[in-house]
Amino acid sequence: MAPGKQTVLNEALDRLWIQFLPQMVERVRTLETACAALATGTLSMGQRAEVNTAAHKLAGVLGTFGLTKGTILAREAEIIYSGGPDTDPEDAARLNVIAGQLRSIVANRK
Amino acid sequence: MTERVAEVLAMAHRILIIDDEDDIREVAALSLETVAGWEVTTANSGAQGLARAVEYQPDAILLDVMMPGMDGPTTFRALRANAATAHIPVLLLTAKVQSTDQRRFADLGVDAVLFKPFDPLMLSSQIAGVLGWN
Repeated sequence: MAPGKQTVLNEALDRLWIQFLPQMVERVRTLETACAALATGTLSMGQRAEVNTAAHKLAGVLGTFGLTKGTILAREAEIIYSGGPDTDPEDAARLNVIAGQLRSIVANRK
Repeated sequence: MTERVAEVLAMAHRILIIDDEDDIREVAALSLETVAGWEVTTANSGAQGLARAVEYQPDAILLDVMMPGMDGPTTFRALRANAATAHIPVLLLTAKVQSTDQRRFADLGVDAVLFKPFDPLMLSSQIAGVLGWN
C-alpha cells in the first residue's frame, strides 16, 4: 500500500479510537466491577454474562487498534468467566490483574 | 473509458458489513474503503442486514457471529434461504477462537471464517484472497 494511504488509515484509526474510547473504558469498568463482586462473593449470573460479553468485545476490538496484548488479556478473562459459576481464588486474583492491565493499556494508547 | 478506469471500476467491490458493534463496523468499513477502495455499506443487526443485502446486492457480506436477536448463523441461513441473496458470498467475522466454535462455523457452509481482531491493513486482502479476487 502507498505510504500516503497508510498514513490516512492510521490517522483515521486514531480518530475512531478517540470516538470509541468511552465504550472501551466502560467495558474495562465492567470487568473491574465484576472483580469487586467476585471478591465479595456477590457476582450474579447476569453480571457474569455481562462481563463475559465485555471481555469478548474487548478481545475482538483491541488488537484491531494495535493493542494486541489487550486482546490476549481480554480473551483470557473471557475464558475464565465462561468457565462456570464458581471462580477459584487464584483465577479471581488473575482477573483483577487483567482488569488493571487492560485499564492501563486502554488509557495509554497514543 | 480507458482500460485503466475500466480495470479500477471492475475491482471496486461492494461489501455489506453486518455487525452490532459500532466500533468494529466502522473500523472494518474504514479499512476496506481506504486500503482497497471498495464501496461499503453497513447494518447493525441481522434483520437490517437481510434487508440491506436484498436492496444493495453486495459482492460479499462480512457477518458478525454474536449479535443480539438474530445472530450470525441465523442471519446466514436466512440469506441462503432468500433467492435474492442466496448467491452472495458470506464471510463470518468472529472473536471466537476455540476449535469447537470454528468447526461449528465451518459446518454452516459459509465461504470463509475471519477472526477478530483483524489487521485493518490486511482485511481487504484477506477477503480478496478467500474469494479469489486477487
